[in-house]
Amino acid sequence: MKLTVNGVEHDVQAPQLASLLHVLREELDLTSPKAGCQQGGCGTCTVLVDGEPRRSCLLPLAAVEGAAITTVEGLGAADELSPMQAAFDEHYAAQCGFCTSGFLLAGTALLNGSPGATREEVLEALSGHVCRCTGYVKIVRAVEAALHGEVHPERVEASFEPEETDVLIPGSPA
Amino acid sequence: MKAVGARLPRYDGVAHVTGRTTYVDDVRIRGILWTKALRSPHHHAAITRLDASKAEALPGVHAVVTHEDVPKNVYGHLEALGIPADEPLLAENDVRYKGQPIAVVAAGDEDTAREAVELIEIEYEERPAFFDIRKALDPDWPQIHQWGPVYPHFGPHNHRRVRKGNVDRAFDEADVIVEGVYRPQAIEHCPLEPQTALAVPEADGRLTIYSCTQAMYFSMGVVAAHLEWPLNKLKFVGGTVGGGFGGKVDTATETICALLALKSKQPVKWRWTREEEFLASSTRAPWHMEIADALTNDGWILGRRMLTLHDSGAYARFSPYGVTKHAFHHTGAYTIPNVHFDGYVVFTNRVPTTAMRGFGVTSVSFAVETQMNRIAEVLDLDPLQIRLKNANRIGDTTANRITLKDPSTVPVVLAAADRIGYDLPAEYRSMTSDRRSGELLPEHLVAQLGVEETSGNGGGR
Repeated sequence: MKLTVNGVEHDVQAPQLASLLHVLREELDLTSPKAGCQQGGCGTCTVLVDGEPRRSCLLPLAAVEGAAITTVEGLGAADELSPMQAAFDEHYAAQCGFCTSGFLLAGTALLNGSPGATREEVLEALSGHVCRCTGYVKIVRAVEAALHGEVHPERVEASFEPEETDVLIPGSPA
Repeated sequence: MKAVGARLPRYDGVAHVTGRTTYVDDVRIRGILWTKALRSPHHHAAITRLDASKAEALPGVHAVVTHEDVPKNVYGHLEALGIPADEPLLAENDVRYKGQPIAVVAAGDEDTAREAVELIEIEYEERPAFFDIRKALDPDWPQIHQWGPVYPHFGPHNHRRVRKGNVDRAFDEADVIVEGVYRPQAIEHCPLEPQTALAVPEADGRLTIYSCTQAMYFSMGVVAAHLEWPLNKLKFVGGTVGGGFGGKVDTATETICALLALKSKQPVKWRWTREEEFLASSTRAPWHMEIADALTNDGWILGRRMLTLHDSGAYARFSPYGVTKHAFHHTGAYTIPNVHFDGYVVFTNRVPTTAMRGFGVTSVSFAVETQMNRIAEVLDLDPLQIRLKNANRIGDTTANRITLKDPSTVPVVLAAADRIGYDLPAEYRSMTSDRRSGELLPEHLVAQLGVEETSGNGGGR
């Protein structure tokens, strides 16, 4: 079967019911999607399927025939980060980094589909993703910075201003 | 001091956002085998029969390991401190918690490994399970652990104890006694990266082990102990942890991968499922804490009696260490001159418990701070004023006989009050950590004062 990933067409040997996550990781050696729970609950395996964020652990190969898949490897290399990648780096939105791929792709889909998204829409777009390190504040801040075009790649400077902490936490009472 | 206050880039930031950070599961080695475990379906049972021959015969299976294959099966995480071993890597005659590993299989793919686990023949004789730590010292407590209901090796005692001053007199002299029971429950660390290891046999007879551990040299020592190998035959690669929070201190997967790799002579990976994480990975412990405080009507704490029961789960692991830390902190950030503390490590049929974010201390901090609020409520006094009054100050001696040089209770409470706009009278707002005198040195705190400190800077705001 043919599978287009990050603009490159691959001949895939895995059986039709193999998960897309397994094919990406074990056959194509694309390791940015992670096997966090393998039951659709955590979001670490998220990839874009024709631009839409999807759980690759739950997608059988047969379901994505002919689709265009994007993983974090297809966003931007280290010297040319995409706006969402640059925002995550700048705002320290990745701590251990294991959930980061999923958040990046959910954020990227939002940026491409509804760049004028509200705070509520940002929270909704990220709501299926679990991060156990950051408490989400920095992730939400990074996604909003990218949405607003406020990304500053050159940013090594002293700043003693306390950071604002006005971000709503997904799942918390409003 | 260029880094303090500066927004420096994370050293691993770009790797994280480009998906290039290499966690154990991302290490690419050709021809790896995948691991699955036979785990106990019972909380407590005797194993009456174990036969893995059908699993070994299944095509695609390269190795099956049971306790018989482990050079030193029973290990203790605190052996280096002279505490005897109690926990088998793979269960031998009995299982003591649901999810305890009994046998492991390495096969060419996960489905075959899973199928092989199903073929292992095992019979159990179920035993009564025990979970309520409050009943540990009851006569009808069901036998679980070879050491009895509680960990018995705190010096000559079967519990960690702290004694100071004359607690009976403090309670006799008290105007009011305030009691509280506090029971924080278990928490799963739930790192997004499940427990994962990869062991690769090298041509020179050594093993390279890729590990998600939080404690590289510790894990290396654990593997070497089980294998009865010198450390220089092991090469550990790690340091990239996909979340740990204390849950990756216990060595969960490395030794199993090593044994299967040695037996199969192939690289072996074990990546736990999320179900295994919740079922069989260690958790933060449940605790039961009872505090009774002897108080004066104006809010001085004259004495404290405290009983702590710590749920260790089925084996000791680090629990005695956690309870010792807990004991050190049982007066919190406050000076209490007369104390009587007993802390027990109780064995139950839970999964063994372990470190998590302030091992042993978060539980006691929760209890102590909630107790302070309860005291304020009973005495109808201000909760922050009570804290400032009893706060540790320079020269105070803690329950475990440390004379404090730079306690931070007063500045921390005052800073917190500032941040939340809390109104305090001027005499409290101007408090510092300076050595006690005047109204802050009532009679009951005179004897506990340590030698004069001359170097203190006041520790003020």
